[in-house]
Amino acid sequence: MLTFARNKLVSVAALDPETLSIHAVLDDDAYGLEIDLRVSIEERKILDIFGKWNRWTTPECYRAIPFLQEIKGELIDETMGERVAKNLARKGCRHFANLFLECCDAATQALRVIRWENEKVARPALSFEQFLKEEGGREKTVKTTNTSPKITVPLSSCQPQIESHGAEDNRKDGVARASQDRGQGFIIDLHTHTFPASSCSSVCADELIEQARLIGLNGICLTDHNHVWSLAQVEALSQKHGFPVFRGNEITTTQGDMLVFGLEKDIRAIISIEDLRGEVDAAGGFMIAAHPFRGFLAFNTVQLGLTARKAAQRPLFQLVDALEVLNGKVTDKENGFSSSVADALRLPATGGSDAHQACEVGIYATRFFAEIGCEEQLIRALKSRDYVPVAFRSQIRQTA
Amino acid sequence: MPANILKFSLNRCTCVERLEDNTLRSVCTLRDTFTSASVEIVSRLPDLEIVSAQGQFHHEWLKLPDIDGIFLKLKGIRIGAGMLKIISGLIGQREELRQLTYMVEECCQAVIISLTRDILVQAPESEEAKLEFFSNMVRENIRLYNRCAAFAPGSRLVEHSQPPK
Ligand SMILES: [Zn+2]
Repeated sequence: MLTFARNKLVSVAALDPETLSIHAVLDDDAYGLEIDLRVSIEERKILDIFGKWNRWTTPECYRAIPFLQEIKGELIDETMGERVAKNLARKGCRHFANLFLECCDAATQALRVIRWENEKVARPALSFEQFLKEEGGREKTVKTTNTSPKITVPLSSCQPQIESHGAEDNRKDGVARASQDRGQGFIIDLHTHTFPASSCSSVCADELIEQARLIGLNGICLTDHNHVWSLAQVEALSQKHGFPVFRGNEITTTQGDMLVFGLEKDIRAIISIEDLRGEVDAAGGFMIAAHPFRGFLAFNTVQLGLTARKAAQRPLFQLVDALEVLNGKVTDKENGFSSSVADALRLPATGGSDAHQACEVGIYATRFFAEIGCEEQLIRALKSRDYVPVAFRSQIRQTA
Repeated sequence: MPANILKFSLNRCTCVERLEDNTLRSVCTLRDTFTSASVEIVSRLPDLEIVSAQGQFHHEWLKLPDIDGIFLKLKGIRIGAGMLKIISGLIGQREELRQLTYMVEECCQAVIISLTRDILVQAPESEEAKLEFFSNMVRENIRLYNRCAAFAPGSRLVEHSQPPK
């Protein structure tokens, strides 16, 4: 039996030689919506757009409609996907965004048909295939001069993000780990992001480091996405701020994000976790599974049958040196679950804020029990397994 | 040509069914003026790991080099947060692959929404109770805060929620 079905239909007609008319429907188990829009053929400009809910979930879903109206006047071009992801999907409704991008793609395809039909007026025997060949050739020549209006819309840039519901407070596990107090120790935020090295971050390294110092951390580790900081760069930052700055790298693998330390190699593409393990071993480095259950507990775990013991059997955990069990970007429940899994695996546990803004640094961090002065010492300390994750910011709030 | 005759039309259907061996089969089929394609992803509960992927892709002018090789790359990926980056990173965004990447993503999203459906069916009938139900949902999972118009400041659903720390 089907547990879910989503049907989408998009039709494009030419109202007149200047205007496309597009009608689109999305209908699934939870949502029913429609979009009607008109697009100018010459400029690919959205002349008007109307959205309609047939079925929805929350009593406030209607608030998304005005964000659809904001698209009026915009051009369907190669940046449309990104713009929709930032605005309509994020501020309005991602289901409308999803259907709207199907409309943009369909408009692009319809324009191709119209160009062929126009060519055929002068050359009635022109086949569609021949037309494409000629157009493809033209596009290539134009592309090299960089003026080609590339109008394919990246559909996926507007895929809805994961829905996450039903979290319950499970902070206890994390705090239990954090409370094994052996004095202040040496506290480092092991997971942070800076701009421009991580395009998703909105804080520069200088500001992040200053903030880390201000709140009383003992050190900070820059772990930008698939980015290698040079030793000279972090040493210069350290000197400049009179504050210990270390470097790591958050690398996306087929099994999720890994925080690696001591790896100089610049890895840009998605890599298999096995290959990354090989690289880290060869470099004598250390690898932590970052936010290993982010979004994992979005659903009822009982319904999925997910227990910590079962989760611990995932092959990826045989390939990592530690688990990040306090991460600032996931729910308490997900952190708690990671902690139980780390316990089941008898793997060491770390904490890091995953800060993308200055105010987030130090939400979580890792407490070591000896001072750490350089990268080599950091890696040795990580391998010693002698550290605990800490909810640093809430601790300083309590002591203040 | 008269204005009522279509220049382009598209039909996309994505379905999820739960199989007896604790797996979910998600199938996306696409038929449009130029394309006839389908993608099938089987994922295993409880961790939603992709155990197999297959499909076919026919297009008027785009040709895919090695479709089976592409599907092979998807084995072992987990459906969940961060998957879009992994899928598009593995398959790529070249023009001929863009549609296939999208269909894989639609399959995976459908799995997620099908699981969300189980929560949505618990929503009560009356407006007042609905407001309470969805307000609780945001309070319990603050990541939903400001994620769409319904959960943005100004909405009745976040009146009593604190913005994320
Ligand atoms: Zn991160």
